[in-house]
Amino acid sequence: MAERPGIALFQCQWCLFSPTDQDWVDNHLPNNIYLTKTPCTGRINPLYVLNAVQGGADGVMISGCLPEQCHFVTGNITARRQLEEFNDFLNHIGYEKQRVRFVWLDLQDRGMIQKELAAFEEELKNLGRAANLVTRMKVAEGEQNA
Amino acid sequence: MPDIEAIKSEAKRLLSEGMVEVMLAFKAGETPLHPQPAFFRTPDDVDELVYSSLNQNNLATYLTRLPKESKVSMVVRGCENRSVNALVVEKQKSRDNLYLIGVPCEGILDWRKIVAKAGEAVKSVNESEQEVMVESRSGYYLVERKELLHDSCMRCSHPNPVSADILIGEPLAESDSNLAREAVEEFEALSVKERYAWFRKEAERCIRCYACREACPMCYCTECFVDHIEPRWTESGATPAGMQAWHIVRAFHQTGRCTSCGACERACPMDIKMTYLTEKLNHDMKEKYNFETGLDAQTKPPFATVTLDDKNRFMV
Repeated sequence: MAERPGIALFQCQWCLFSPTDQDWVDNHLPNNIYLTKTPCTGRINPLYVLNAVQGGADGVMISGCLPEQCHFVTGNITARRQLEEFNDFLNHIGYEKQRVRFVWLDLQDRGMIQKELAAFEEELKNLGRAANLVTRMKVAEGEQNA
Repeated sequence: MPDIEAIKSEAKRLLSEGMVEVMLAFKAGETPLHPQPAFFRTPDDVDELVYSSLNQNNLATYLTRLPKESKVSMVVRGCENRSVNALVVEKQKSRDNLYLIGVPCEGILDWRKIVAKAGEAVKSVNESEQEVMVESRSGYYLVERKELLHDSCMRCSHPNPVSADILIGEPLAESDSNLAREAVEEFEALSVKERYAWFRKEAERCIRCYACREACPMCYCTECFVDHIEPRWTESGATPAGMQAWHIVRAFHQTGRCTSCGACERACPMDIKMTYLTEKLNHDMKEKYNFETGLDAQTKPPFATVTLDDKNRFMV
């Protein structure tokens, strides 16, 4: 694969405690990673994941806090229940399960998100481009997505 | 078959004593294959009530359309009873305002299968426990009941109402609960490519009439996500992306709420298969959380609760 695989990164705003990691995610992400920051993983509606998948993301990464470290107490647990099932469901209709990955970060971790993204990208390279469920029409430059 | 006179006399008693304001059941429709849902409000109306295995709709759909405080009685089969329970759990109706006349269900006959068997317009259908007599213009056909059952009724494991106030007829034997699991596993054994090809083929026939949504008792959102234009949460046009998004999100919204009644599939004018989606979700809910929808009127669906056990499920 010549191009790098496109990754949609959904990220809880509380899970990167170190300022350097936070700065990297905010300002220095590679071009193939599309970041969506959310107030909590619990805010990630399965529809967001579906939009990313239909829009042609080769992989979706969801990064949040470990259980009992959620800023909103149970947001990550409910999110995990839903999104894990949504992943299984997408797999059921033909989107490979490996293309959605969950990363649960400890507040003590430093440099984890970079490592995880690199490992994920490596796996996506082996899988190749996503073909199934990619049906959303491409939007031309400057045009609004209806 | 349950005694129709017993159902009628119970319904008349409820209406004349004023215990309920309205009775939900079926009356004869315009064609012999389609009895239609009806609201009976006086004891005299009840004479029109019919009960047969051709009753395709899930009557629980109408509960959320009646005023919330109204006292309602229903003739419920196994799946309808579970739908009612699920609605009670979601606080759409108080159980105190309901009086359920339970009927053990021998499975719904799929009218499409009957028409396919007869090959022409059907004049009448008479059923017994094992066989169904179909009368068409050219003669009579005697068909085994099993051949005409709707797909989701063939997989049904709870034919008896679980919390009816009165049960009319003898309870039937609970059947094998593995049948639904087998159907899911059979589909999952296909490769990713084949599964997607199947899904795409089914989804692209959709004409977006939303009959599945109207037929489903659990689809009661006042504003559906596809009707929401601003902001548009997801693709909702009549494009391949919009079709697939509709089928994915409709099914996924039923996670832990679907009772596998198959009303969506029976309502579909394009004969699109949908239960292979919801059966998968039901199967997962049972495997992961040991939850089956509507078996009682207290347990919340898995997505509405969290337990201490959850933290062990994280990949640490």
